[in-house]
Amino acid sequence: MTRFLVRRLALAALVVVGVVILTFVVARVVPGDPASTWAGPRARPEQVEAARRDLGLDRPLPVQIAKYVGGVATGDWGLSLRTRRPVLEDIAQRAPASIELVTAAMLLALAVGIPLGLVAARWRGRSPDVLSRLVSVVGVSMPSFWLAIVLQLVFFQWLNLLPVAGSYDPDLDYTSPLRSVTNMPILDALLTGNWTVFTSALTHVILPAVVIAAYPAGVITRMVRASVLDTIGEDHIRMVRALGFPERSVFTRFALRHAWSPVVALLALVFAYALVNTFLVEAIFNRPGLGSYAASAIGALDTPAIVGVTLFVALVYVLGNLVVDVVQAMIDPRIRVA
Amino acid sequence: MAVAPAPAETVALEGGSLPPGRLAGVRRVARRNPLLAVGASMCLVIVVLAVLAPVIAPFPDDAGSATHALETLESPSAAHPFGTDQVGRDVLSRVLYGARISPLIALLVLVIACAVGLPLGIAAGYFGGWVDDVIMRVTDVFLAFPALLLALAFAAVMRPSITNTVIAIAVTWWPWYARIVRGQAASVAARPYIESARAMGIPHRRILLRHVLPNSITPVIVQVSLDVGGVILTASALSFLGLGAQDPTPDWGLMVSQGQAFFTTHWWLVTFPGAAILFTAVAFNLLGDGLRDVLDPRRVLTR
Amino acid sequence: MRSVGLRVAIVAAAFALVAAACTGSEGGPGATDGDGNGDTDTGTTAGPSAFTYSVNSEVMIGTDPATGYSNEVIALHNVYETLTRYNAETTEVEPLLAESWETSEDGLTWTFTLREGVTFHTGAPLTAEAAKAAIERTTELGEAASYIWGAVKKIDTPDERTLVFQLSYPSPLDLVSSGTYSAYIYDTEAAGGQDLAEWFAEGNDAGSGPYTIAEFNPGEEIELRLEAYPDYWGGWDGEHYERYVFRVTPEANTAAQLLRAGEVTLVQRMSPQLWSSFEGQDGFETSAASSWQTLLALLNTADGPLADERVRDAVALGIDYQGIIAALEGAAEPLSGVVPPGLWGHTDGLEYQQNQAEAGALLGEAGFGPDGERLTLELTYLKGDADEELVATLMKSNLEELNIDLQVQGLQWQTQWDKAKSGNEAERQDILVFYWWPDYPDPVSWFYSLFRTEKDPFFNLSYYSNEELDAMIDEASVVAATDRDEATRMYEQMQQIVAEDAPAIPLYTQVYQRAMLDEVEGFQDNPAYPNVVFGYELTPTG
Repeated sequence: MTRFLVRRLALAALVVVGVVILTFVVARVVPGDPASTWAGPRARPEQVEAARRDLGLDRPLPVQIAKYVGGVATGDWGLSLRTRRPVLEDIAQRAPASIELVTAAMLLALAVGIPLGLVAARWRGRSPDVLSRLVSVVGVSMPSFWLAIVLQLVFFQWLNLLPVAGSYDPDLDYTSPLRSVTNMPILDALLTGNWTVFTSALTHVILPAVVIAAYPAGVITRMVRASVLDTIGEDHIRMVRALGFPERSVFTRFALRHAWSPVVALLALVFAYALVNTFLVEAIFNRPGLGSYAASAIGALDTPAIVGVTLFVALVYVLGNLVVDVVQAMIDPRIRVA
Repeated sequence: MAVAPAPAETVALEGGSLPPGRLAGVRRVARRNPLLAVGASMCLVIVVLAVLAPVIAPFPDDAGSATHALETLESPSAAHPFGTDQVGRDVLSRVLYGARISPLIALLVLVIACAVGLPLGIAAGYFGGWVDDVIMRVTDVFLAFPALLLALAFAAVMRPSITNTVIAIAVTWWPWYARIVRGQAASVAARPYIESARAMGIPHRRILLRHVLPNSITPVIVQVSLDVGGVILTASALSFLGLGAQDPTPDWGLMVSQGQAFFTTHWWLVTFPGAAILFTAVAFNLLGDGLRDVLDPRRVLTR
Repeated sequence: MRSVGLRVAIVAAAFALVAAACTGSEGGPGATDGDGNGDTDTGTTAGPSAFTYSVNSEVMIGTDPATGYSNEVIALHNVYETLTRYNAETTEVEPLLAESWETSEDGLTWTFTLREGVTFHTGAPLTAEAAKAAIERTTELGEAASYIWGAVKKIDTPDERTLVFQLSYPSPLDLVSSGTYSAYIYDTEAAGGQDLAEWFAEGNDAGSGPYTIAEFNPGEEIELRLEAYPDYWGGWDGEHYERYVFRVTPEANTAAQLLRAGEVTLVQRMSPQLWSSFEGQDGFETSAASSWQTLLALLNTADGPLADERVRDAVALGIDYQGIIAALEGAAEPLSGVVPPGLWGHTDGLEYQQNQAEAGALLGEAGFGPDGERLTLELTYLKGDADEELVATLMKSNLEELNIDLQVQGLQWQTQWDKAKSGNEAERQDILVFYWWPDYPDPVSWFYSLFRTEKDPFFNLSYYSNEELDAMIDEASVVAATDRDEATRMYEQMQQIVAEDAPAIPLYTQVYQRAMLDEVEGFQDNPAYPNVVFGYELTPTG
């Protein structure tokens, strides 16, 4: 187990270094000059030159990369050209809101995907299966930016049922101000017992969460279905069946027990993808968070911020995978060999 | 749209649900696998519309540089069933011509991804050792980025255009193919007859072309068919963010993006192109799922 | 099964919560006002009234009044004040921190008398010394539009309330001191021992205006909250908004929806279609005012096919100006010359008209046109600006009829500008579309920046050079200090020269279309201060 862990950690570290270098190289070839972005819209040439020196852009590329990698390791992710604050601080401030949104979406996706997948597996080949597969295909085929617009149209514009923008009604800041604990508005409201904000935040999260949930829900449905069917096909289940246990009990007592492991393995991956989805969705719903931060960074060619966000998401993914691998290896020793 | 081939790839399949012979008749496939039939018909519709766009489209010029400043934002009518856009172009014509763009982007991306991924994957699997290590670590790095994120980064670097969209997405897509093929190649290379062929001094090129490649092709075809929908979604997301096709190209993602400013007052601008994206992605995903069931029924977890 | 069952249970519980929350606010945003769970209605009896300005991009790009050169002006003009303020209706300069001013015959000495009883938000009184220190800090830092003070050689402060500027050449200081940027008077001692710029960046202010910064949340939706400064010299008698909130809503649809729900008071900008959906609606008011934001197409006069004046004229004649104005449905007005209406120096009767026949003939002479060789031109515009994109699309379509292939490229401003300034002439564009507006209310801005000969291009991105015009520009800016009528005549002449040589095509001037709750009274746009809503001038009713 220790050997597996060490190997896996070393591998993750290697990937992280590769990720840092790749993002940096990509960002540095961006057209447009970070120094002139920093110096401002109508800056004179001398000011741009001064900014170039201040930002260390006058040094050779390998030196810049080495400095950046070193900085990342020590928590210095550079300064955002747009907000002029440390990128890591910006990310730390905005990531929680996105993580909360994605978590809400994932819960929604699980709530839809698991039952749907089970139904499909239980009645394989029959109409519930066909219907569930159709729903899951529509889920993974949904252009989220479009769904976001359509839901706004229907639920706000036409039905006037749900709010469209922000994470909660900002007027509440005057009447029942929210104390920031985690920077996740729903959780903060819950922790501080601020029910007015809690209600407002929940109603605000519904539409964006539904949009982000569409894709994971489709994937989870497929995965649950496939995984259950896979387990049912395994020898020991056939044995159970041969022993004359009723089908329903084969399904619930034996098959499902083994079916959830691949689903868990998938969750880290889907979470990271959903996080990227916020790039498109948060801006449309005018929610603060990593996604809208990234979207405006791209708009402003704010390279340190773009690199920072890219790095952050990649790290989330690498770490998520690491955790899943380790957990699975602890549960199932066979995986360690593979 | 965080669209990745990964989850689809990891989806396991029920074993033994198909008859042993693969050459089942079309009707039989349709009966056994109605979703495949639906998907295939939808794809056919898209292809037909794309090919016949110049004939069907009421205003073919509107898919190009024509504008009509005095007919802007007209609501759907007999003359313009999908209405007109902010510069007076017929939305129906543009949606029809759009059918020529998205599938083409997907095709190009997947061809490039295969052209890069297959040789690398085969080399990694067949030769093993340090070649394998280097190639696989590089794919690890690429795979650590969700496809859309990496494509975004590349697209932001390059001047926005269809060509660059294709390149940006292909860059993020090839590692998946390298991975799939590597596994296949490694298992083929480990077979006794290949080992003895190598011992007898038969050139690598011949072994690779005669034995390794053919054995790897089925999972690749399955994966390609599964990925078309994902590529279309990623490309339309890039266009939506202004990093893809540029006006006046009748790209669906771009049309949604341009119509976004008007969606509360002029719903048809975003609704029709967006629905076209959804329709196309559903079509190819159904087709891909179905093809996998037919071609590769025993495929199990690869991760 | 156990674990799946557990998951399902958790998820179901979460669902129930969400569902409960939904039913809790039945009727949606419109209904949350009156149901007793907190006072969410801003304009009613209890509590101070808040004005929420829905802006379409981040406000506080800069925080230092000396160096801010961007969107922050829309907040800073409520927090800081200038010596004078320009009135676009009368085209006259009016007193603000300065009660009165006079100039010597030669325009080289300007004497301003400061208002009495003004204090900064720091508590310090406004004195001539303080005003002098502010202007000197601004000019020493040399950023933003500080060049507007370039003529000032020396500032004297004979007494507490008198500010005497000695100039090295005549300059209209009354206009300069009403500037949009770099003209604020602030307390340079505000930060004590700390670096003043850093102190500003932390969200502090040192102005004398009606509002002071209460809360600054960079990057957040509610980016900035201002609060009434109790000791404001104008006083707080009568009805004024006492809170001023900036809410960033990049999507116009969202902004419109928020206005409809009463969550914001006034929206900076929405599409003309959305805007007109508020026209004549109960509970809302709309206003439309022409701005000084002029959209220009700068033509490359130095290199490429547009170096030929006939081709420039042909392009100018080939554009369907009325079509562009029509497609923008009220968000744009035809522009005559480059100086917009409302600014002194504006001249009527210089609009271009589309004339495809004449354009074709001119192109024919140059060897291009419908019967000649196909001409390829490259146009760059600001990516993400829907109006510019629409203009580019329409221009492409217009010019196609003249057998011109207009290759349109949307670029980030930095990229667009770098390309335009490129040392390699072949890399520069043929046509550059961008907005221009002045730093202070003086038409010289267009001429000095855009059309005066530059060795290395900075903003003269037509690469235009005309010695006669250069001389007139220099003369007009001096004459403006002493004889504004004469200067006006000169600008009329200069605009005629520009119209003839066609280094730039004036496309239109933007129209500010604002929609607001009808509780707002007294709103009027002042194009000299683009997008600034002077909160103190508004009266909340209802």
